[in-house]
Amino acid sequence: MNRITALIADDEPLLREHLRSQLARLWPELVIVADARNGHEAVELFDIHQPQIVFLDVHMPGQNGIETARALARRAHIVFVTAYEQYALQAFEQGAIDYLVKPLDAARLADTVQRLQQRLGRPLDAGAAFDAMLDRMANELKQRTPARGHLQWIKASVGSSVRLIPVEQVAYLRADEKYTMVAWDDGQALIRKGIRELGDELDPERFVQIHRSVIVNLHYVREVVRGVNETADLHLHGRDEVLPVSRSYLHHFRQM
Amino acid sequence: MTKTLPTLRQFLVVLLITVQLAWVLHALSGSPFLSVLLRIVSIGMAELLAFTAAGALRLHWLRPSLARLLAVALMAPAATLALFVLTESGTDAKQVYGYTVLAVLAVVVGVIVALVALRFERRARERDDRLRAERERNTLERELLDARLRLLQAQIEPHFLFNTLANIQALVESGSANAAPVLRHLIAYLKAAMPRLNDADATLATELQLVRAYLELMHMRMPDRLQFSVDTPPEMHGVAFPAMALLTLVENAVRHGIDPSTDGGSIAVGGRADAGGMSLWVEDTGAGMAETNQPGTGLSNVRTRLQAFFGPGARLDLHEVAPHGLRVELNFQPRSSA
Repeated sequence: MNRITALIADDEPLLREHLRSQLARLWPELVIVADARNGHEAVELFDIHQPQIVFLDVHMPGQNGIETARALARRAHIVFVTAYEQYALQAFEQGAIDYLVKPLDAARLADTVQRLQQRLGRPLDAGAAFDAMLDRMANELKQRTPARGHLQWIKASVGSSVRLIPVEQVAYLRADEKYTMVAWDDGQALIRKGIRELGDELDPERFVQIHRSVIVNLHYVREVVRGVNETADLHLHGRDEVLPVSRSYLHHFRQM
Repeated sequence: MTKTLPTLRQFLVVLLITVQLAWVLHALSGSPFLSVLLRIVSIGMAELLAFTAAGALRLHWLRPSLARLLAVALMAPAATLALFVLTESGTDAKQVYGYTVLAVLAVVVGVIVALVALRFERRARERDDRLRAERERNTLERELLDARLRLLQAQIEPHFLFNTLANIQALVESGSANAAPVLRHLIAYLKAAMPRLNDADATLATELQLVRAYLELMHMRMPDRLQFSVDTPPEMHGVAFPAMALLTLVENAVRHGIDPSTDGGSIAVGGRADAGGMSLWVEDTGAGMAETNQPGTGLSNVRTRLQAFFGPGARLDLHEVAPHGLRVELNFQPRSSA
C-alpha cells in the first residue's frame, strides 16, 4: 500500500491544527497519522507510526526540535518549523534543509510540499552533512542556555517558606554545629548545607574562607584590622559584627 | 588597614614639636641644649608609639580614641621616670624637681597633641565616609539609568510576536470567533509594551491590564499547559506603579517556569494591601529555579526600578513553591496620591 504519512510536532495546539488544515488543502493524499506536543512524544509516536515525513517545531519543551531530529536519526524526511530563530534560519539555509517559518506562508508551504513529493520517490538523503549541522545547532542551543556555574542562590527556610537569597546579598556564612548560618541584607537564616560544600560551590572571586567556620563576601569587607599572632579582624559594610580571620587564611588580605 | 606603627609624617610632626619644646626648656633652665633635646625627643617618641600602638587595641569597654589618649597620658610619666632611672645616678632634689616638671609637661603637651591628632583623624574619616556615600549614590543612579535604558531598548521579542501572530493566523483562517478578542489582547500588549520615557502616569491598573493581555495570549498559545489567575484587591489599582515591572516578572514565570516544562502549570498574580504596605506576587507552579541558575538582568532591573520608585524600603523576594515553582513577591509603601 502506497499511503504517504506524516507526523506534526508542535507544543502549540492551534499551530498543529493550522498546519494540518493547510496540508490537507495542498496535499490531500497526505495522511497526518499523529500530533505530538513535545519532542519526547514525537519520538514515541514516530516509533509507533513510522511516518515518512516529520514536521518538527524547533522550540518545544522537554526536548527541542533539533534534539528530536537527532533522535529520529534520518529515518524520515524532516521539515523544521520555526518562528524567527535567527541562528536556526541561518543554519537551515546553509545546510539546505527544509524549513517553514511561522506564521506560515501559503506559497512557501506549497514549495515545500512539492519538494517533499519529489524526494519521496528517492531514498532518504545520505546526510553526514545533515547530522553535522544538527550537532552544531544542538551545541549552539546548549550555549544559549546559561552555563551552570557557581552558586547564584541560596535556598533557606524562613518561617514556613523557602527563600531564594541572591548570593550577592549574602554578607557572610558561619558554620553552626550541623547548620550554616547565612547573614544577608534582610536578616539571618539557617541552612542545612555545610560550610565546606558551600565553599566549593560559591564563586571564589567573591567568597573566601577566612576561618575554619566562616566564609565572607569580599564585597562586604570594609576594613581589615591586623591583630596579634598573624590574625586579623574584618569589619563589614553596614554591619556591626566583627569577623575573625585566622592565621591560615590571612593570605587573602596580604595585598589589601 | 589600621597601622600599629607611626607614619613618617607623625614622626616628623612629633620631632618638630619636641625640638621646639627642647629649645624653650633649654632657654628657661639653662641646661645644655643637647641633653634637654635628647630627653624630650625620647619622651615624645615614646608617647607617639603609645598613641599608635593603642590604636590597634580593640576593647569593648573603652572607646578607641579614649584608649589612645589614656595611653599617651600614662606613657608620659612612665617614660620620664624610665629616663630618670636610666640616666641619673643620684637623687638630688633639684633633679627630682626638674624631672617632675618634665613629666607634667609631657602629659599636658602629649595629651594636647594627641587630641589634635584625633581630631584630624576624625575629619579624614568623615571625609572618606562622605566620599563613599557619594560614590554609592552615584552607583545607584547609574544602575537606575541602566535599568531605564534597558527598558527603552526592550524590544518585543520576535519569537513571541511571530508565534502569537501564527496563532492568530490559524484562528482567522479557520474562521474562529476567538480571532477578534485575541487580536485585541495583542494590540493592548503591543501598545503597552512600546518603549516609554517615564513612569509618570503608570498605575497598577494599567500594569494589570498589560499582564492580563499577555497571559491571555500565552493561554491561547498553550491552553493545555498554562492556567492563570489575576486577583488583586481593587483598592490597589489606583496606586502609581513602575511600568512593565510586574509584566517582567510574569514573562519570567512563563519563560523560565511554564515554557520549559512539558506539563506546564499555573501562574497566579495576586496582591494584598494592609496597614503595613502593599504586596504583589507572581507565583508559578512551573519548573522552578536551580541554585546555580544565573539571575537574569530582569530581576535586578525590577528591584532597582522598584526602589527608585517607592524608596529603598521596597523589596523583591523570591520563594520556592512546593513541589516545584517560584513565587516572586514585591513589598512596597505606595506613594501618597498627590
